[in-house]
Amino acid sequence: MNPFAQVLLDGIFTGSTYALMAAGLALILGVVKVVNLSHGAFFSLGAYVAYILSANGVSHPATAVVLSCIIAFAFGVFLGKSFINPVRFHPFSVAVGTLGFALLFEQAAQMLWGPHPASIGAGAPWATVSGIVVRRWGVVSVVASAGILAALALLLSSRWGLPLKLIAEDEEIARSVGMDVEKIRYLTFGFASATAAAAGALLAPATSITPTMGRVPLILSLIVVIASGMENVLAIFLVAVGLGLLSNISAYLLAPQWSYVSLLTVICLLLLLRPEGLSGTVPGRDY
Amino acid sequence: MRRLVFFLPVAILVLLLCSLPSWAGSEHPGPIRIGVLAPLSGPFASGGSAFLQAVTLAAEQANAAGGVLGRHVDLVVADTQGRVDIARSEALRLTSREKVFALIGAYLSEETVGVIEVAAASRSVLIVPVAATAEITDLVRRKYERYRYVFRVGYSIPQWAGMMADFLGELRIERYAFVGAGIRWNRELGKELRKALARKGIVPVYETFYSPRTPAFEPVAVAVMARSPEILVLGDPGGNAAEFVKRVREGGATFPILSVGGALGDARVAATLPLSGPLYVQAAAWKGASAAATRYAEAFERRYGYSPVGYSDTLPFDAATLLFSAIRAAGRADSDSVVTALENGAFPAIAGIYRFDASHQAIWGTPELHGVVIRWETGGARIAYPDSQAR
Repeated sequence: MNPFAQVLLDGIFTGSTYALMAAGLALILGVVKVVNLSHGAFFSLGAYVAYILSANGVSHPATAVVLSCIIAFAFGVFLGKSFINPVRFHPFSVAVGTLGFALLFEQAAQMLWGPHPASIGAGAPWATVSGIVVRRWGVVSVVASAGILAALALLLSSRWGLPLKLIAEDEEIARSVGMDVEKIRYLTFGFASATAAAAGALLAPATSITPTMGRVPLILSLIVVIASGMENVLAIFLVAVGLGLLSNISAYLLAPQWSYVSLLTVICLLLLLRPEGLSGTVPGRDY
Repeated sequence: MRRLVFFLPVAILVLLLCSLPSWAGSEHPGPIRIGVLAPLSGPFASGGSAFLQAVTLAAEQANAAGGVLGRHVDLVVADTQGRVDIARSEALRLTSREKVFALIGAYLSEETVGVIEVAAASRSVLIVPVAATAEITDLVRRKYERYRYVFRVGYSIPQWAGMMADFLGELRIERYAFVGAGIRWNRELGKELRKALARKGIVPVYETFYSPRTPAFEPVAVAVMARSPEILVLGDPGGNAAEFVKRVREGGATFPILSVGGALGDARVAATLPLSGPLYVQAAAWKGASAAATRYAEAFERRYGYSPVGYSDTLPFDAATLLFSAIRAAGRADSDSVVTALENGAFPAIAGIYRFDASHQAIWGTPELHGVVIRWETGGARIAYPDSQAR
């Protein structure tokens, strides 16, 4: 086995998991224009759905993904309609409120399923090529994140995505042509929450499932969105993979603690040198 | 008027005499109130809730057997949230407002160091079940008069390292890797283990600590495998340990893994992990190690519906049991008498017989109190060490 080749491949896989989460977060930032700190809670929700199904003998990931998407969409729409829409012009209220929802979810998860770590069998690696292990969850991450981001790109370039783009550009114009902006916003919130839950359900076998498991993916996906900007779907994927590689290489060559430090250093440099993000074109973003 | 002057004192006297039985009644002691400090929310809630469950079970068993000195044991629970400031303020609330007689806790070393000051100031007995940092017993040794109310039931880091080193010595290995979480006691454990194993000629080929924020498990797993250790010692007791084991095993490594315990002692988690290589877990006690340990494990399973992990539940159970035994030995719930009883007594509990040294550290690593190492196999665990208890 060539250890460095393995680290590089794992970096791509790790980056894909960031992209999975970042896709929904970027959508919310772009369309609803709020920083959603409850995104990680939906990731945990998806993982718990997968765990409960697995514990009851239903181990097919598609079932977990579909069920968790439905539940997360319903919760997301409820949250978007009842809370985000009314206060979305007050960024501090949105941040505190969504964080509150995340903490509420963590407490509820602890009461329902206990605080103890839960786990699902991860299965054997997908393949081993020249001594390099192709991890099953890694393949799932790459395929799912590429699929979700491609679907998002298709949606935005199609007729169906026009309202989203218009709302992101100018809400007043969207409203003036008769669009139900509020409804599109909370449906977007629901859809983005469903993608986070799908990510949680897909990655559950690779992780340790705890009520607070969504915190780290939330921070990492925020880093990806800050670095990539939210205008270009391909940029989100590439930046996520780039950060995954950076994280793994620095952990391997320096020490695991450097993984986080290197990510934060990149973000600080980016904010200083290119505040609009790598793919952004508009200077001076308002988030 | 004369009559009134005569009868009034008599009437008061009669009234006082009539009320005597109720005074005598008030001398009947009330319940013994014990404060429990554990993180019941936040990232350490897993260990904290097991901690509380075990202490609750111990109190229930004591009450079912007639209480302690005939008095009911009442637990007053405080959630430390895994934070030093909260742990300290909750300890203050328990001792000053709730008037608890003794404290059991806290969970993390950092929390416990904060709580010690409150216990010392209020002269309340503090039994520390799991926090392992040397600072706790160092305080007792250096300033005995102030900190003599503090006793640690769980193993100290050098004792822990010593017990693990004994097991690794039995395996006759020469090279090991150590991976821990980037927290204080894990670093101390890594250092002590290195010293203990050096005496047996066992050397580390890799040692690292991952961050809880971005654990970067994959590169760490790759780095461990590239060093080809004969065993991997996993210092993280939390849920991340399960994830790391998955990474190592899916990478194709078949070398044995020895965990310090915690999450990997949970049968529900262990059942989902690949057993392509031996998975050992260190524990204070395990079902089958003794009649007491089996009784405890069965009672715990009946009460809570899952098996104890042998560490974050067993040690708090022993801490509570020990405290009750010391109160009985002292003959009254008085801090100084209980301290004297704890200093001079030998207390049988689940893990063995506890005695305390001059720094109020339970003496682990003796034939009376030594802990066990279990090995997960398909269908359950078996005790792998010590040989006298292996089956």
